[in-house]
Amino acid sequence: MRRRTFLKAAGASGASALLAGCTGTGGESTTTEQSGGATGTTTTQGTTTGGESPTLTIGTYGPFVDTVSSSPGPWLKDQFESEFDATLKWQTPDSGVNHYIERSHRGVESGADLYVGLDAQMLVRIDENLDGELFTPTEGLSHSGDVNEELEFDPKGRAVPYDTGYVSIVYNETLGDDGAFTAPKTFDELLKPEFEGTLLAQNPTSSGTGKAFLLHTIDAKGEDGYLDYWAKLKENGVRVLGGWEPAYNAYSKGEAPMVVSYSTDQVYAAESGEDMAKHQIRFLNDQGYANPEGMATFADAANPELATEFMDFMLRPEVQAEIAVRNVAFPATTTAELPADFAKYAHEPPEAVTFSYDRLKGNLSDWTDAWEQEFASK
Amino acid sequence: MSGIPARRVTRLLEQRLLSVVAAATAVILLVLFYYPVATVFADAVLEEGGFTLDPIISILTNEFYLVDIIWFTAKQAFYSTIASLALGLPAAWLFSRFEFPGRETLRSLTILPFVMPSIMVAIGFVATFGRNGTLNRALSVVGLPPVELLFTLEAIIVAHAFYNAPLVARIVTAAWESVDARTVETARSLGANPRRAFRDVVLPQLLPSVGIGATLTFIFTFASFPIVLALGGFQLATIEVFVYSKVRDLAYAEAASLAVIETVISLTLTAVYLWYEANQRAAGGAASPLPRQSVLPADWTPKAALRTVGIAGYGIIIGLVFIVPIASMVLASVTGGDGGFTLSHYAFLVERQATGASFQVKPLPAIWNSLVFAAGTLLVAVPMGVTMAILTTRQYRGRGLINVLSMAPFAVSGIVVGLGLLRGLVFGVDVFGTRIRVTGTLAIIAAHSVGAYPFVTRNVAPLFSRLDGRLVESARSLGATRTRALLDIELPLVWTGVVAGAAFAVAISIGEFDSTIILAEGSGSYTMPVAVERFLGRRLGPATAMGCVLLVVTSMSFVVIDRFGGRGEL
Repeated sequence: MRRRTFLKAAGASGASALLAGCTGTGGESTTTEQSGGATGTTTTQGTTTGGESPTLTIGTYGPFVDTVSSSPGPWLKDQFESEFDATLKWQTPDSGVNHYIERSHRGVESGADLYVGLDAQMLVRIDENLDGELFTPTEGLSHSGDVNEELEFDPKGRAVPYDTGYVSIVYNETLGDDGAFTAPKTFDELLKPEFEGTLLAQNPTSSGTGKAFLLHTIDAKGEDGYLDYWAKLKENGVRVLGGWEPAYNAYSKGEAPMVVSYSTDQVYAAESGEDMAKHQIRFLNDQGYANPEGMATFADAANPELATEFMDFMLRPEVQAEIAVRNVAFPATTTAELPADFAKYAHEPPEAVTFSYDRLKGNLSDWTDAWEQEFASK
Repeated sequence: MSGIPARRVTRLLEQRLLSVVAAATAVILLVLFYYPVATVFADAVLEEGGFTLDPIISILTNEFYLVDIIWFTAKQAFYSTIASLALGLPAAWLFSRFEFPGRETLRSLTILPFVMPSIMVAIGFVATFGRNGTLNRALSVVGLPPVELLFTLEAIIVAHAFYNAPLVARIVTAAWESVDARTVETARSLGANPRRAFRDVVLPQLLPSVGIGATLTFIFTFASFPIVLALGGFQLATIEVFVYSKVRDLAYAEAASLAVIETVISLTLTAVYLWYEANQRAAGGAASPLPRQSVLPADWTPKAALRTVGIAGYGIIIGLVFIVPIASMVLASVTGGDGGFTLSHYAFLVERQATGASFQVKPLPAIWNSLVFAAGTLLVAVPMGVTMAILTTRQYRGRGLINVLSMAPFAVSGIVVGLGLLRGLVFGVDVFGTRIRVTGTLAIIAAHSVGAYPFVTRNVAPLFSRLDGRLVESARSLGATRTRALLDIELPLVWTGVVAGAAFAVAISIGEFDSTIILAEGSGSYTMPVAVERFLGRRLGPATAMGCVLLVVTSMSFVVIDRFGGRGEL
C-alpha cells in the first residue's frame, strides 16, 4: 500500500519529465498512465460515475468473438446491451489468459471484469503461477442450479461452465484403399499396422485439442503406460502438428484419414453442405474427453455486480441454446432448448472422460514435459 | 539577411546528420530491442535476485536437449542453407547477367515469399507436395510412383528454401549488378579467359554477399518454428518450438535459457561472418555495371544451347518450389467446399468490411495499416541502416562489437522480442513512480524498423566497403560536408544496395507478426497477415482470399519500390 501512495504522489511530475525526454527521439510513442489506487485504473474502464452507462469489459479468446462462420461474441453483445443499460467491450489478447497472469505478475490491474473461455488446465496454470487470486468465487447466480453438475470443474467455485466440447476422432470414410475407411474403435486398435500413418494430432503444449487427447490417453493407459503408448503411436506414424488449424487443414486436404477434433464437427459440415462421409465421428473406447469452458470474474473487476449479471445472462435457456449453435459446442445447462438440426449432427459420447482440477494440479506440466521428451526429434 | 541563419542551420544539421541518426538508432534499439530482450534473458540467469547459471547448465547437460533438439536444429538449418544457396544463386546469375521480358518485375517479386504468412505457405505446400498434391498427380500422369514428402525433414528444407532462396538471390543480385565491368574488361585484356576473369575478378566481389545470404539463411532457419511444426510435425521439433512451448507454459526460466543458447549460437556465427567480411575488402567502384546477355542466344552453339536448356530446367524447379504453392493458394481462394468455382470467399471479405463489428478484423483497415506501417518503416529503417553501414565500414576501435550489436535483431528470435515487449513496455514500466507504456502506431513502426534496418545495412555495407575512400576525401577537401559527400558521391554508387534494402524493409514490415500483434494490443492496428490468421478456421477459403489480397497489395508495393528506386539518381 505504501508503494502505491508514493506512486500517486510522484506520478504526475515524473510523467511530464519523461515525456519531454522521449519525444525527441522520433521513434517510439510513449504514453503514460498513472498507477491508480487500490481499485484499479479508472481511465481504461467505464464506471458508474456521473449517470453514464457502465462498461463491462470481457476478456476472451479470439474465435469466441471473431471467426469466419459464426461466433457468439457479436450476438451476446447486442443482446446484453439491448437489455441492460451497459456497454459490453470484448478484449481478445493474443496470449489469452496468460495475458492476465502476466499482468498480475507485473502488478498491473487486469483491466477487465471477467474472462470467458477458461478450462481446468488454465485454472491449474493460473494457480501454479500466481500467489494471489486472479478470479473471485462466483455467488448469487439464479441459474447456477441449471448447470450440469458433471461439467463443474473448479473446486474453488470461481469458474462457471457455459458450454462444453468433446474431443474425439473425426474421420474420412472415403479415404480407404477401396474407398471405405473405418476408424479404429479403441486406443489399442489404433496401433495396428492398418492404421499406420493415418492420424493427425496436435501438440498438447500449444493446443487445447492436443492437450485433451493426451489426457485421454493418460486416462486410458494410466500414468505409467501413456508414454509407452505414445512411443508405439509414433512408431505407427501418428503426426503431431502445432495446433488444431494446421492439423484440420491438412486433414481436409486429404493428407490423412483421421484427425483429433471435436464431436460437433458435423454441425459445421452440414451448414456448408459438405459430404458427411468426410466428417465421421469416432469415440475411442466409446469415450470422449469433455473440455467444458467456463467464465469467472476478476478479483479486481471494476463492475463486479454487472459481471455477475452477465454470467447469469449467459446461463439463460435461450442464451445457452444460441451459444451452443454459434460456438458449435454443447450447452452447459440442462435447460437449453436446442434446434433439431443441432441434436442431429452434434454427437455426444456414450461416456465422458475428464480430469478434475485436483487430478491435474501438480501433474499437468510433468505429464506434458515427459511427453515432449518422449516424442520430439527422433 | 534571414537566409544566412537558415543556411547555417542547414549546414549544422548536415554536419551532424550522421550523429543524430546514429543516436536515434541507438535509442530505438535500446528501448524496443535491448531492454525487452534483456528482461527475458534475465529469467535465465537470475533466481530470487541472485545470479545463477543453473537453468542454462541443466539444459546443456541434458542429452535430450543437446542431441535431439539443439543438434537437430543446427542440422536442419545447415541443409536448409545449402538448399537455399543452390536455388538462389542461379537466380542471382539470371537476374544480373541476362535480359528477358519482365525481368525487372520478376526481380521485384522475388521478395514476395518474405511476406507470405507461414500458415499460407504450409497450406500451399500441402496442396503441392501432399499425398493428393499437384506433384504426386503430375507423377502419376507420367507413370511414376507417388512421393511422401510431407512431415519429413525434406519438406522443411524445401519450405525453408522457398523463404530464403529469394533472400540469397536478391542480395547477390545487388552485389553482382554493382560489379564494375571495367575490372572484368581489364582482366580480359590482360589475357584472362572468361572463366578465369570470373574467378579472379567477379567472384571475390560476390563472396561477401553470398556469405551474407548464407549466414542470414542459417540464422533464420535455425530459429524456424511455424514451418517446422506445420510441415514436419513435432517429431522434428527445433529449439524455437521448445521456446514457444515453454513460454505458453509460463516456464520462463527454461524458455529464456533455451533462447540464450539459441542466441549465443546465432550471434557467434554472425560475429565469425562479420570478421570474414571485414577481411574481404576489394577495391573498385560500381560506375558501369556488367552488360546483360539475352536468355536466347544469338547463335545456337552447343554451349549456348546447353546453357539455355539449363536455364529452362532451373525454371521448372523454380516453378515447382515457388509458383505452384502460391498458385495453389490462389486456386483455393476461388474453390468452394464442393470443389467448384466460387467467389464466395471474396464476397465474405466484402461482407465483413460492410457489416463486421468494431472488435472484428476487417480487410480494408488491415490493408491500410500494413501500408502505413510499411511506409513508416521505409522512412525510419533506410536512414538507420545506411548510417549503420557507414559506421561499420569505418575504421575505429570497437567497430567489430558495434557491428555485431547492430546485427543482433537478426539473431534473437521473434518470440523472445515479442515476450520482452509484452512483459515490459506494453504493460508499463515504473520509472520514478510513473508507469511508462509504449504502444501504438509509432511503436509498431519503430519495432518493425528494428527488425528491418539490418537488412539495409547488410545490403549496403559490402558496397560501401568497396568504395574508394579517396572519393570522399577529395570531396571533403573541396569543402563538402560529410553528409553532402554521402548524398552526392557515395549513395549513388551504392544505390542498388539501398533499393534492395528498402524492399526488404517493406517486406519485413508487412510480414511481421509477433511484435505487431503485441504492440497493437486490443486496438485497431491489425495488419494483413493478422487478418489472414484470424480468418482461418474450418474452411480455408476466406483466409486464402485474404492471403491473395496480401499478395496483390504487396506485389504492387515491391514493383513500385524497385521502379521508383531503380532510377538511381538522388
